Amino acid sequence: MGLDGMVIVRNFSFLMQGLVTTFQLAVLAISGGLLLGTLVGMARLSSIRAIYYPATLFVNLMRSLPLILVIFWFYFLVPLVAGRPMGDFLSATIAFVVFEASYFAEIVRAGIQSIPQGQMQAAYSTGFTYGQTMRYVILPQALRNMIPSLLTQSVVVFQDTSLAFVIGLKEFLRSASIVDAREVRSVELYLFVGLVYFLFCFTMSRMSRKLEAERRAA
Amino acid sequence: MSTPMIDIRNVSKWFGTHKVLDQVTETIDRGQVIVICGPSGSGKSTLLKTLNGLEPFQEGDVVVDGLSLRDAKTDHIKLRQKMGMVFQRFELYPHMKVMDNITIAPTKVRKLNPKAARAKAMQLLERVGIPEQADKYPGNLSGGQQQRVAIARALAMEPQIMLFDEPTSALDPEMIKEVLDVMVDLARSGMTMIVVTHEMGFAREVADEIIFMDEGRIIERGTDKSFFEKPKTDRARDFLNKILI
Repeated sequence: MGLDGMVIVRNFSFLMQGLVTTFQLAVLAISGGLLLGTLVGMARLSSIRAIYYPATLFVNLMRSLPLILVIFWFYFLVPLVAGRPMGDFLSATIAFVVFEASYFAEIVRAGIQSIPQGQMQAAYSTGFTYGQTMRYVILPQALRNMIPSLLTQSVVVFQDTSLAFVIGLKEFLRSASIVDAREVRSVELYLFVGLVYFLFCFTMSRMSRKLEAERRAA
Repeated sequence: MSTPMIDIRNVSKWFGTHKVLDQVTETIDRGQVIVICGPSGSGKSTLLKTLNGLEPFQEGDVVVDGLSLRDAKTDHIKLRQKMGMVFQRFELYPHMKVMDNITIAPTKVRKLNPKAARAKAMQLLERVGIPEQADKYPGNLSGGQQQRVAIARALAMEPQIMLFDEPTSALDPEMIKEVLDVMVDLARSGMTMIVVTHEMGFAREVADEIIFMDEGRIIERGTDKSFFEKPKTDRARDFLNKILI
């Protein structure tokens, strides 16, 4: 069986467009997921029931469902709610933000809990509100503790974006499969796709491990 | 004296079914220095934290400078600004330099402009004797220095009352004096202070009243002479014998 690398070269710009879509989706999913996840993570620690219970239900629900199902849900649900077709990229983005928020929320919750109670009391004792205490005292310290977990989860999100394949989004994997349908070069194409995912994720994991080691040493 | 600075009326508090404060009553006048001592678990730190609303309580009331803690209309944020607090483990913000530790609350809460806040912070650092540490991170300071920064941080909000929760019990012995000196100074300047501590030397020097707590109750109170020389209860006598050896 001879490998023909030229299939990659011939379709390079098309494949790269797919990779760009993958990156866009990943960046939106990670930043949106982290933002929403931070709010949900804080809500999970609330002493107010009306805030704690919905947040807890949300996290437990999302973490018990396969991502692919959530992607399907939002693909069919978003147009119904919005009253018009929303496109695969938008519905995938919403699905990812909502789904990943539940995972980020648990990281944020653990991060906040890693900060000694006394820090909160000290901040309150100087007249800070809850919001100021979180913003200036707790979250900056918590986020620093969370960086390794956040990076690991971000790598997972990056890989997960390939699942948007199922609703026809032309992300990196889908682009490769489109080329494959035309040129029938599955081995070369999927090896290439694997190599790109591996290089990116492996680099990120190494970075995360290095940060963790530095943090331990500090 | 007219109205007391702090009026603690029959305060009781439970953690679950465990009663940690039992009908505590005490009035503290402007400029008074009160020392609270007692065995660990006697409720003294909890009592201190109920005063600025860090710990809720179920019965009774605390009135600080005319503001009732039980009154739903009382703004706890405003109330806390009347009181500075110093903690056993300092609780400086480790991610901020000493200067920022001191200026953050005045700039964010009282909206003081950063320049004025910094000038004020420098003054306070001079008052506690460590102006040269302004640009360091708390982690690079000794325990005694950190606790002095914590005092400066609390004073930066210009409180009328200072609460100290075992301010020297996490310190190495040779650093205790430098913190106590700052506190004695503060007491002499007329600050109303409530100090949970076992430093009986400090109590003798500046306390107007010493309160002895056990099992959530105030079981004895007195001036330094009456308390140290002839404690009325066995519990207090035992306790004093243990800590004064």
